[in-house]
Amino acid sequence: MSEPTAPRDVTTEPMIRLVEVAKKYPGTDTDAVAPLSMEIGRGEFVVLVGPSGCGKTTTLRMINRLVEPTGGEIWIDGRNVTNVDPDDLRRGIGYVIQQVGLIPHMSIEQNIGLVPKMLGWDKARIAARVEELLELVGLDPAAYRSRYPRQLSGGQQQRVGVARALAADPPVMLMDEPFGAIDPITRDRLQDEFLALQQRIRKTIVFVTHDIDEALRLGDRIAIFAEGSRLAQFATPLEILTTPADDFVRSFIGEGAAIRRLSLLRVGDIDPARFHPAGEAGVTAKPDETVAAVLERMLNGAADRVEVEGLGQLSVQDMLLATGREAAPR
Amino acid sequence: MNFIDYLETNSDRILFLLLQHVQVVLIAVGIATVVSVAIAIGTERAPRLRSASLSVTGTILTIPSFALFGLMIPLFGLGVAPTILALTVYAVFPILRNTVTGLEGVDGNVVDAARGMGMGPWRRLGRVRLPLAWPVILNGIRVATIMVVAIAAIGAAVQGPGLGQLIFRGLSRTGGANALNEALSGVVGVVAVALILDVIFVLIARLTTPRGLHV
Repeated sequence: MSEPTAPRDVTTEPMIRLVEVAKKYPGTDTDAVAPLSMEIGRGEFVVLVGPSGCGKTTTLRMINRLVEPTGGEIWIDGRNVTNVDPDDLRRGIGYVIQQVGLIPHMSIEQNIGLVPKMLGWDKARIAARVEELLELVGLDPAAYRSRYPRQLSGGQQQRVGVARALAADPPVMLMDEPFGAIDPITRDRLQDEFLALQQRIRKTIVFVTHDIDEALRLGDRIAIFAEGSRLAQFATPLEILTTPADDFVRSFIGEGAAIRRLSLLRVGDIDPARFHPAGEAGVTAKPDETVAAVLERMLNGAADRVEVEGLGQLSVQDMLLATGREAAPR
Repeated sequence: MNFIDYLETNSDRILFLLLQHVQVVLIAVGIATVVSVAIAIGTERAPRLRSASLSVTGTILTIPSFALFGLMIPLFGLGVAPTILALTVYAVFPILRNTVTGLEGVDGNVVDAARGMGMGPWRRLGRVRLPLAWPVILNGIRVATIMVVAIAAIGAAVQGPGLGQLIFRGLSRTGGANALNEALSGVVGVVAVALILDVIFVLIARLTTPRGLHV
């Protein structure tokens, strides 16, 4: 398992493939998860979102078989893992939960080193890896490695939780509402940091939340589950906001879909036909900036036109119209 | 002869019986600990069996110790064996009760995270659940020990070892020379053993409670 640095389409084989995976608990009539098929690409960040009881957590827990599926197949990295030894499988998959679940009588270093130790790494290699990971999640190794979980705040504990899941450098990470129990300000920070981290490490992530805003912010693609574990829509955030698949998705994303699109659409992705030739403009922008960020600067600078590098000029009205319904992502 | 003089004159015998008493108690509690932890772990997936074993061992506690020792004579004769057996039987309940409580009290999220990282059932038990339950289990062992220190004195009824011999002999010749002193030395010895063991348990608890649990 090495850190995937290659571009995403290194192979056409998806990292995670669920084939008609289902869960039915004995003694119940309805499926906890109705047969579900899903493909998740390498390095992709997929968020499962939906109301409680929609089966999103059960689906997540079937990927590392904490919940054994009663039907279907699970493929990871081109290998059918439906019947392999579950402990071996889990050691190769990072797992983060809302309550963190750090082992209280073990130091931070021991907690992070748990999986490497089970995999038979030697002490020096584990120590080096712990140091690297603590730095990666923004905790000073010298100060934190020999502390105990109870000496850390909730936010710090979850950083350690993420470091522990990354310890053996698994290609896949499963995260069950990891930021759900953290105060809003710290949560925002952790989300930002985690996105930046993901830019570097490019793991394949399956992330469960009930918060659509968190989903829109983090996911490359979002799977919206409806009651009865129906997969209502599985698409990029922009697609979901632009063309909700049905009334359930529409009501789930709630009011303000158009305004939210402003912070998802990049100016470089606006239809080239909308651009005017270069000329005098109060503000300049790079193509990968979001419409919201550019509008913010234009409003602050009282400018009505922006020069997008290499593309041409846009007016405020162009940008607002481009974010409208017809602006399907390219 | 006053009591202090009596203790001085008979210090060798009293000390010998006291150590014997401690020995019998520790052997019985040791066996009971192994048995109780094994029952607690073995019945984890059989809740009915678990509550049945708690009821049975709990009920045993209500049997008067004098009667239990007596009932063992036809089965195991006299001496050390029936004493240790009876004490073990008494010691099981508090340890079993606390082991069950301790294991049930372990945070389910911690166990879930351990499972999600690929720790198998035995590793979860040995590295996570038992260490976390240990303070509660140890408290059960302590309660059992103190309880059994007192009951062990009755073991003299089946010619068992320990301080009970002083008490029984003293009481059987009430009015005789030093009879009261003899019985009293046994009683004081039992109380002293209980106190000393209790202090030792406090120390053991300090030394063996994982650091991360009391930071």
